[in-house]
Amino acid sequence: MTESSAMALGSAWKQMSWLYYQYLLVTALYMLEPWERTVFNSMLVSIVGMALYTGYVFMPQHIMAILHYFEIVQ
Amino acid sequence: SFFPQKNGISNGTLYKKTFIEHFEQAPMYVAVFTFVGFAVGTIFGYLRDFMRAWGLEKRNIAAEREQQKDFVPLYQDFENFYTRNLYLRIRDNWNRPICSVPGPQFDLMERVTDDYNWTFRFTGRTIRNVINMGSYNYLGFAETDVNALKTVTIELKKYGTGVCSTRQEMGTLDKHVELEKLVAKFLGVEDAMVFGMGFATNSMNIPALVGKGCLILSDELNHTSLVLGARLSGATIRIFKHNNMQSLEKLLRDAIIHGQPRTHRAWRKIIILVEGIYSMEGSIVRLPEIVSLKNKYKAYLYLDEAHSIGAVGATGRGVVEYFGMSPDDVDVLMGTFTKSFGAAGGYIAGKKGLVDFLRTHSHSAVYATSMCPAVAEQIIRAMKCLMGLDGTTQGLQRVRQLEKNTRYFRRKLHEMGFIIYGNDDSPVVPLLLYMPGKIGAFARRMLEKNIGVVVVGFPATPITESRARFCVSAAHTREMLDTVSTADVLGDVEKSSFPLESSGERGYLSVPKPLVLSW
Repeated sequence: MTESSAMALGSAWKQMSWLYYQYLLVTALYMLEPWERTVFNSMLVSIVGMALYTGYVFMPQHIMAILHYFEIVQ
Repeated sequence: SFFPQKNGISNGTLYKKTFIEHFEQAPMYVAVFTFVGFAVGTIFGYLRDFMRAWGLEKRNIAAEREQQKDFVPLYQDFENFYTRNLYLRIRDNWNRPICSVPGPQFDLMERVTDDYNWTFRFTGRTIRNVINMGSYNYLGFAETDVNALKTVTIELKKYGTGVCSTRQEMGTLDKHVELEKLVAKFLGVEDAMVFGMGFATNSMNIPALVGKGCLILSDELNHTSLVLGARLSGATIRIFKHNNMQSLEKLLRDAIIHGQPRTHRAWRKIIILVEGIYSMEGSIVRLPEIVSLKNKYKAYLYLDEAHSIGAVGATGRGVVEYFGMSPDDVDVLMGTFTKSFGAAGGYIAGKKGLVDFLRTHSHSAVYATSMCPAVAEQIIRAMKCLMGLDGTTQGLQRVRQLEKNTRYFRRKLHEMGFIIYGNDDSPVVPLLLYMPGKIGAFARRMLEKNIGVVVVGFPATPITESRARFCVSAAHTREMLDTVSTADVLGDVEKSSFPLESSGERGYLSVPKPLVLSW
């Protein structure tokens, strides 16, 4: 690992932790105890994960339906 | 660079200089995130209350004894929902014990909590030289310099500390008489009376001046002492919008046209209660317009100069001097010595007839202990310093330094793009934080950087407008103000929210570029 790539990784880590800190402040998770943060984060991750998974599974069907509506594909 | 909002001056010809106040509204997504934050806090509050009620978590709140479980509840659990679940989580930012004089820098006792703010313990260490941006020390008279306190120590040795009586019985000392004459001379009125406590001055004297059948027109954002005094008096209270002269005029016209509610008789007295500087907004009262309204509709004016005496005006004589008006325009001048004079207590000044009436009819005068003579001497020496009677120009220098510091600090924060409320000349600088998560984060991070600030949330402010309130002092140096305004934490905590038409150069990394401010 060269020094410049280590520095880039370090600054990316700093940027990510600053973004996480902003997320904590904006959603008032900053005020909560660690276990409450875990509960909220896991619920958020599971809901977003489920939404993304559903989108991924149904994406081909939805695209075919749109193309069929606009009569691009029969 | 920034857009000052003149906030609708209805009669601009009454003002001898420009009156610029800022009440910038935050963008919509800030309000959305604020509500999201409160929603998260509320949901987890319900969860924790549920766990506490069902024994899944230890209960730290006050509860009745087992034998009294079936009685009428002594501690209404749900009403304290906000206190228990939101305030308590960030409680370590308030009631911090200090252990030095509250000058421009002070010492804090280090305090830690093991169970998330339910209990605290002191580690025994002291955090030294924390920059003080929270104390009301506008002119810097809270000092321990031996030369400055020479006369105070002499009086302390002469009189001791206790007065052991009320003003009416045996508590009127020659020091009080001397102080009252000095206050009257300072303000340019006929007579004045001093009381031991500023809050009690308002709450105990308003009931003496008005009663049933009188009308009180009080500003929306008046201090609790004024509200308490108004309620205790038994008069009818009507509220006008904050500093809004159209609202006040409408209320005055309605009062005179329609009279008392059912009988339509004329009101015995109409009194307008306003403050010089509002401590949560930093706004200055529109005194010229209020005085012209009061003269037109024959009402009385009660001006509470708690934060403005000593802090505004060319020679520190308050808002009356700031607007270039004469003290005869205001019927009752009230103020406190806590803020700019480094002491404790309040005064009421005005015509001799008024003050003589209050000497016999005010609860505070008749029942409350009078001011400690050493404290009275501190006020005397501070006032003499301000008036120049001690032979130096130190008083005037302090007033000028406060003015300079205020302008510098406000301008710097504006140029950095933060939302600041209030008038450009007021030393009270509220910095808006809005989101509940930021209240605790801001105060804690500032303390890590050795800066002590006061943060305020609901119920002292509207629920969506929580803020950090800075009190600029004449004793602050330029370096201290620079340290505070360029503290990294301001960038970290604030930068997520505001696009700020004022400054386009801010990036998203943590350190704001140091500014060179031209004077």
